[in-house]
Amino acid sequence: MDRVSDAAAGAALEKGRKDVSVASGKRNVTGGIAGFIRGKEGIIFFIILIIAWQAVSELASVQKRFLFPSFLTIAHALYSSLPELLKGTYSSFLILVPGYLLAVAAGITSGIIVVNTPWLNRAFMPFARVAAPIPPTIYIPYAIALLSTFRGASILVVFIGAYWPIFLNTAAGAAAVPSQYRDDARILGLSHSEYLRRVVLPASLPHSFSGMGVGLALSFIMLTVAELFGANAGLGRFVQYYADYADYPRMVAGIIYTGFITFGAMELLERIKRRILFWVR
Amino acid sequence: MAGSDFHSGKRSGLRIESVSFAYNHSRVLCDIDLEVRQGEFLTLLGPSGSGKTTLLRLLAGMEIPSSGRILLNSVQIDGPGTDRGMVFQSYMLFPWMTLQENIDLAISRTNGHLKKKERYVLADEYLTLVGLQRAARLYPFELSGGMQQRGAIARILALGSPYLLMDEPFGALDPVNRVRLQDLLIGVWEHASPARTVVFVTHDVDEALYLGDRVVVLGSTPGRIIAEVPIDLPRPRARQTYFSNRRINELRNVIVEHYQSDVIEQLESAERIGGNGQGI
Repeated sequence: MDRVSDAAAGAALEKGRKDVSVASGKRNVTGGIAGFIRGKEGIIFFIILIIAWQAVSELASVQKRFLFPSFLTIAHALYSSLPELLKGTYSSFLILVPGYLLAVAAGITSGIIVVNTPWLNRAFMPFARVAAPIPPTIYIPYAIALLSTFRGASILVVFIGAYWPIFLNTAAGAAAVPSQYRDDARILGLSHSEYLRRVVLPASLPHSFSGMGVGLALSFIMLTVAELFGANAGLGRFVQYYADYADYPRMVAGIIYTGFITFGAMELLERIKRRILFWVR
Repeated sequence: MAGSDFHSGKRSGLRIESVSFAYNHSRVLCDIDLEVRQGEFLTLLGPSGSGKTTLLRLLAGMEIPSSGRILLNSVQIDGPGTDRGMVFQSYMLFPWMTLQENIDLAISRTNGHLKKKERYVLADEYLTLVGLQRAARLYPFELSGGMQQRGAIARILALGSPYLLMDEPFGALDPVNRVRLQDLLIGVWEHASPARTVVFVTHDVDEALYLGDRVVVLGSTPGRIIAEVPIDLPRPRARQTYFSNRRINELRNVIVEHYQSDVIEQLESAERIGGNGQGI
């Protein structure tokens, strides 16, 4: 609330300053450019990036030029690889979605139950503190050895990567449920399981969602790294495959495409979050 | 119910027997003896630090006395129960539920056998009682503070508890809403059938005088009862003329005297400690 009103006040101040400069007839060049740029900074940055890339591509020595394919070459590679990339996306999502959703379900459920069960809390939390910081990529070779199929192994490592941040955030949220809610629940005669489902779960959801954001980003890392190791399809596999054949336009196209997919998934999560947490003010 | 109590020899009402309560080795309540009759409206008046909230939490079963015991209809209280509804000072409806769903949470305790639709009809009746019938489908963040507190009261009324424990429920409200809710509460209490017993905590002398059948004044550090003043004025009490009544002014003087003597005592004891250099 305060932040919003501060921002509004700041905007009003900015506007006022602009109005004054217009009124006093000052029309310096920087003011004009600044006014033109305002609100378009994001697009302009992309344009600058593309120009810079193009410049490197043009100016690179002949031996290195193949590493920096021109913008148009990449765009063409992206367009012509789209069917293959879509197929790869489908194959990647068959790993990502089950692994991530399992992690969401397990992370939230266990976070809430562990925090609200004293003996479980004492037993599990010390282990969690040791296990959670282990970089999840380190499990990949073991997961591949452990599970017979690549898909199963990948789902497992995606799950491990996403589970810990979701669990830890949910647990923090469940521990921070206002004591007033617990008092209300006791007065209303809610049973323990009802209290967990109808009070603790929604009350800790804002925390769970921040864990789910971190977890989703980690899922993509786990997925692509796993695919670099030994997939025969998927986004990570696409990039690895064309790098092996030195087809750098396609490889860069794969990286850019993966960026868009990741961005899209994060946006989707953000929308779901805003819809579910409509009551958070 | 009164008949069966008579036959079984049970004493109805709340009975607090030499209850003390300590928290972190500091005494909060000291040797409280108090009886709350069934159907009575009792106001607990005291300055901050007099343990009035603690006493209410003990009655609710949210805390257990360090010594002494509390009986409800001759049975010792050992935890919260839906026979005692409590409204807290910092009212909080669950923000992820509509007003109706919040009320339904209470209704499903006592009327769990009803279908959801039927329970919602009941919920709407309680919301009508507090003048919130049009807000049934709104979420707490869409309501003003006064409306939220009315919702919290409706939720506790919907629990159907014969005992209502209210901890400065109108403390955070503006004067207009405060008066409205006082009248609403008195109206509900007077028309309740079967009768409801109310224990109402406040630090406002006039609120205690207007609402109570009896005002119990608590002194501070540690909390103890320093006076019990019956308010022997008939009901319904008309707010417009109530405070110009001579009798009520006498009662107010008595209460204020007790209230102030405790405050002065506190100040003097603080000075004494300071004189010995122990407070430094």
